[in-house]
Amino acid sequence: MMAGVGGGNDFQWCFSQVKGAIDEDVAEADIISTVEFNYSGELLATGDKGGRVVIFQREQESKNRPPSRGEYNVYSTFQSHEPEFDYLKSLEIEEKINKIRWLPQQNAAHFLLSTNDKTIKLWKISERDKRAEGYNLKDEDGRLRDPFRITSLRVPVLMPMDLMVEASPRRIFANAHTYHINSISVNSDYETYLSADDLRINLWHLEITDRSFNIVDIKPANMEELTEVITAAECHPHQCNVFVYSSSKGTIRLCDMRAAALCDRHSKFFEEPEDPSSRSFFSEIISSISDVKFSHSGRYMMTRDYLSVKVWDLNMENRPVETYQVHEYLRSKLCSLYENDCIFDKFECCWNGSDSAIMTGSYNNFFRMFDRNTRRDITLEASRENSKPRAMLKPRKVCTGGKRKKDEISVDSLDFNKKILHTAWHPKENVIAVAATNNLYIFQDKIN
Amino acid sequence: MDVEAKRIMALSISKLYSLRTQRGGLRLHRSLLLSMTMRAARDIYHTVQLLKDTEEEQVVPCAPDAATEEPMETDSPQTLIQTSKEVAMKPHEPKETLDEDKENRYASERQSRKRRGKTALEPDFLPLKKARMDTDEEKQHLQSEVLRTNNGNSCRQAETLTAFANRAIVAC
Repeated sequence: MMAGVGGGNDFQWCFSQVKGAIDEDVAEADIISTVEFNYSGELLATGDKGGRVVIFQREQESKNRPPSRGEYNVYSTFQSHEPEFDYLKSLEIEEKINKIRWLPQQNAAHFLLSTNDKTIKLWKISERDKRAEGYNLKDEDGRLRDPFRITSLRVPVLMPMDLMVEASPRRIFANAHTYHINSISVNSDYETYLSADDLRINLWHLEITDRSFNIVDIKPANMEELTEVITAAECHPHQCNVFVYSSSKGTIRLCDMRAAALCDRHSKFFEEPEDPSSRSFFSEIISSISDVKFSHSGRYMMTRDYLSVKVWDLNMENRPVETYQVHEYLRSKLCSLYENDCIFDKFECCWNGSDSAIMTGSYNNFFRMFDRNTRRDITLEASRENSKPRAMLKPRKVCTGGKRKKDEISVDSLDFNKKILHTAWHPKENVIAVAATNNLYIFQDKIN
Repeated sequence: MDVEAKRIMALSISKLYSLRTQRGGLRLHRSLLLSMTMRAARDIYHTVQLLKDTEEEQVVPCAPDAATEEPMETDSPQTLIQTSKEVAMKPHEPKETLDEDKENRYASERQSRKRRGKTALEPDFLPLKKARMDTDEEKQHLQSEVLRTNNGNSCRQAETLTAFANRAIVAC
């Protein structure tokens, strides 16, 4: 399904739902730090800075008039990570959820991996709608029965009960990362996954928690010689021996695990030559890649740096095949953005289900979509003002100079505290989830 | 450019300091980017200072530049070229003397402090040599960039900043 981005006759993006408090005073713990649809799109998980995971489930499609796609309602909420203290290093370990990745569903239960800076956990989310009644050794309220009073045996019977969704930690993968974990990625073999921190990437088996294989190590012998760190990593969607990792220098390395146990030597090296005319004090920072995502097809990958999104063909290493400017008007503001730390913001990016469109966030609660076929792009806003059910989203425009038109917003008026770092696209449909600080917006295309 | 470089250096240092107190421990990625930006600014600043010092040296009457229009005395062209080379080398000398004095003064100051923690290793306070090495290595690279001469202050502060940046990375 094509994602029409130009607002033409194809379709329009409409508001569907918003989750989260309306309160202006946002508690830091409620700030959403990751968003992820599961493989079917039925479930949508968010993680926040307080270490909490909230899972939304889509209800069945409504047959009412007007027909609407199912809404996402809260399915399960649980505390995934708690703040910890590393006594050896006198360091506090934040409970913030950096990433959530779903496992493909293999039975009635759902599984996901969630990680903070140091520890990855495998959670099982299962439904319970029956309860056993008629125990022999205990009463219905749980009190133990006096064994001498039991004169007959009975078989407990399963009785229906109100649906309860339970989340339980099934595996805890700890103590494998010295530095801060930035990525986790489930392998296509559904048995292993990788976790990456600033300097190392480890390969785990989902069943084994007490050891992992270190497959990439870029730590120099002398830390003063450190020039780059790992910023993101992902497994190939189909080839279980292939993964990529991006660096703070704007490069991407593709590695083949069949080549060697330690994949320090890459199989492919993707780098675009720098334009010397655009060099500045901040060139290093803005070239740092904040996210890397394979396309669903596995043929392309997309990288996000501070000002742009690039699509790379895995068969061509010397330059990307497509480059999209997200907010080029910020290039002249880099010094101010350095002062207020916004230049360090790590934006994510995502593909739609058919790989025909890509999406990424920006400031002022704007997010951008690019249609790869028509080369059209659109800027939309996640805002409570546009939150009437099925209200169509109006394209937004930033005025970069000269006279500001009526509906345009000038660069200096942008709110840099309202940033959209995390977005997700439903794997099959045109439904998107956009995290704006502590609110989760869900948009979908208009149904005629 | 000089003023901008100095401002970015100061900004980077204050950010590196504040990183230490942030929750969750020192962020390696952030501190690396900060220190790289600080070094880029510092190198620009140094180069500008060097060029400025070179220009000031060339104004000194005993070392006329071959390119100046002022009538020369009885110097031969060969002598002029040699003299120009001496002029080019000269900026290092006063800087070295100044640095040595700074180094000694710093050391004597340090001895009077109380016992320091193990993390503050002595080699970290010999950044001045390392800074010069960096400057030498990267000077050629920087000279190819656009530079503007400007009046600036002493680069002592800049070189002390390098020590901090290196220590920030090593401390991780």
